[in-house]
Amino acid sequence: MPLSDFLTPEAVIPALRANNKKQALQELAEKASALSGLPERDLFETLLQRERLGSTGIGHGIAIPHGKLAKAPKLFGLFARIEKPIDFEALDGEPVDLVFLLVAPEAAGADHLKALARVARVLREPSVTSKLRSASDAAAIYAILTQTTTSNAA
Amino acid sequence: MEALFHAHATLLFAAAAALVGILSSLAASRFGVPILLVFLGVGMLAGDSGPGGVIFNDYGLTYLIGSAAIAIILFDGGLRTRATTIRSVLGPAGVLASVGVLLTAAITGAAAKLFLGADWVPALLIGAIVASTDAAVVFFLLRTGGLQLKRRVGATLEVESGTNDPFAVLLTVVLVEIASGGPGVDAAHVVWAVVREASLGALIGFAGGLGLVFVLNRLRLPAGLHPAFAITAALVVFALAQTIGASGFLAAYVAGLIVGNRPVRAYASIASFHDTATWLCQIALFTLLGLLVSPRLILPVLAPALAIAAVLILIARPAAVWLCLTPFRFSRREMTFISWVGLRGGVSIFLATIPTLTGMAGAQIYFNVAFVVVVASLTVQGWSIGYAARRTGVALRDPAPEVQRIEIDLPGQLDAELVGYPLLEQSPAARRRAMPSWVKPVLVVREGQILQPVEAGPLQPRDYGYFLAPTARLARLDRYFAVDGPASADEEMAEFPFDGSLPVGAIADLYGLDVGSDERGMTVAELFAQRLDDAPQENDRIDLGSATLIAHAVVDERVRLAGLILEATPEEDDAAPGPRRWRERATDKLKEARIKLRLARGAPDSLG
Repeated sequence: MPLSDFLTPEAVIPALRANNKKQALQELAEKASALSGLPERDLFETLLQRERLGSTGIGHGIAIPHGKLAKAPKLFGLFARIEKPIDFEALDGEPVDLVFLLVAPEAAGADHLKALARVARVLREPSVTSKLRSASDAAAIYAILTQTTTSNAA
Repeated sequence: MEALFHAHATLLFAAAAALVGILSSLAASRFGVPILLVFLGVGMLAGDSGPGGVIFNDYGLTYLIGSAAIAIILFDGGLRTRATTIRSVLGPAGVLASVGVLLTAAITGAAAKLFLGADWVPALLIGAIVASTDAAVVFFLLRTGGLQLKRRVGATLEVESGTNDPFAVLLTVVLVEIASGGPGVDAAHVVWAVVREASLGALIGFAGGLGLVFVLNRLRLPAGLHPAFAITAALVVFALAQTIGASGFLAAYVAGLIVGNRPVRAYASIASFHDTATWLCQIALFTLLGLLVSPRLILPVLAPALAIAAVLILIARPAAVWLCLTPFRFSRREMTFISWVGLRGGVSIFLATIPTLTGMAGAQIYFNVAFVVVVASLTVQGWSIGYAARRTGVALRDPAPEVQRIEIDLPGQLDAELVGYPLLEQSPAARRRAMPSWVKPVLVVREGQILQPVEAGPLQPRDYGYFLAPTARLARLDRYFAVDGPASADEEMAEFPFDGSLPVGAIADLYGLDVGSDERGMTVAELFAQRLDDAPQENDRIDLGSATLIAHAVVDERVRLAGLILEATPEEDDAAPGPRRWRERATDKLKEARIKLRLARGAPDSLG
């Protein structure tokens, strides 16, 4: 499943401003709501509830906040680079600056897992993350994210 | 003079055959042929139907060399098995080694009766001869094959194969007794004999192992003699047990376990010596068996023997595994794999020499049938074991790394080891620089100079670092020095952390995971305890359908923290057929072009 299946070029934020994890989630929910039309409050609650089970920080400065939303019609992704890395309660304790938000419909089942796995796999690649960190703008970031998908599937 | 010439010629011939076997291993690894079959083939080529034309019919000598080889292989297997591993699979492996052997023997025996038209006793004898999985082959294929299995599956197979020989040996001996019209044997007698052989064997192995440890640690043997002492002592333990009517196989395995799990002087040199010795034993065992067999005599029984092998592989072994392991909560895929790794080997052929040795009438047929069954098992199962492991998902996706660890023997029995590693670029050690607190740097070799850690400062690539580390944590230190590479896809996988106290149901609901209804109410820690027989270890995994939970921060055998890995389904992407992938790629390119266009309008400095 290529990332472009659920990530549009508009859903890339090259410089998100947030001082802490909660604020970052709020900002992400707001942006996601604007793009997807889903209610901001529901998005935020879903993400926050998921974080209560355990941090979605997977280490090396990367977090993948995610959750299921009954109202979501399909998978929705949003990528943000955080201006100043924030503490995300990740296992390795490293502050997080690359965030991929993924919202799935309640009945997404296997697709939800596959999409998450794909995002995780792409963002675990150190060559990708270093490019993402140095990319100049949203378009470049989007190209890096989706190009990896192509080369990985081959 | 004649006698001397004969001795020299025999030696020349035997050594040359072994040499050919070793050299053919190169070809074998290239074509993926199970290497043990190559040794067998070399023996057959040298034998009476091959170009070698050697007539070798000495069942007595085969039995003697075969026992010694199997004893050494079993001792080595024990030497490398951790006690915690044994403890966690004692239940399933024990049932498989006892009840499983009986079931396998009975079903295979029925097949032998059907296909050979034999009476019940000889038919069951054939069943008993091929009933046990072969420790030598199982250890060999699981360890040398570069295959890393989920711990519980691998451990069950290893412990089963190390402990089931006594039952098969016993069944065989009892049936031979009945067949040769010995004294009437009743069920109580048989059960008692099994219990006595097994417990006496375990006891002798235990005592022998302790004695061996004691002597190794107390007596000052000349340095090179430690391994020689260990291997001879293993043979003494084996032969002693066999002589007084206990199971020598079990004794050798248990003795190995004891030595391998206690601090022992010269352990490193003993272990590396046994590596070589085990190889030589495999070569000797299989070449000899190949020499002993006469393909001409096999032909008449080939068809029925193959049918028996098919029943054994496809019906008897799976039935036994399913019946024995279902109560232990193995997943269906795990049981499928364990069924498939019902490898037969030298022990079966070796047991088949017993009827001949005891002078049974028509004894040749047992040997020939057993030979065909073993070759079939080695070919079919041995060849496909890697494929089966990946297919059923029991192969680990990030196996323990191969690392170049140098071990240095320390005097006395400490729970620490002095080890050295070359520092390679792209290893965690090269990136992180700071060592875990339990590691004591001892010295650094840099560009031919020996430096103290303080002088050397942080390690640099191409340095050799020597450390003092607790034996139990060496595996973790290995990971530290193994190349994990920056761009490899099978680098450590992304994990979402979950606390051990969380209810399993909450996680399962979130991701739609496959969890039994009785497991939903458990906490993550309880689930690990339940599925891994109360002895989970760091990095143990449990299968949740489309995801895997991996244990972290294991304290007192309780999992405090677990990671959820979503990339559990192997070959998720590779499954896509070529054309579709090509089309996908083309679509991607199109999409990309469209996006470039769309973005170019808003963002002038977009893509290069």
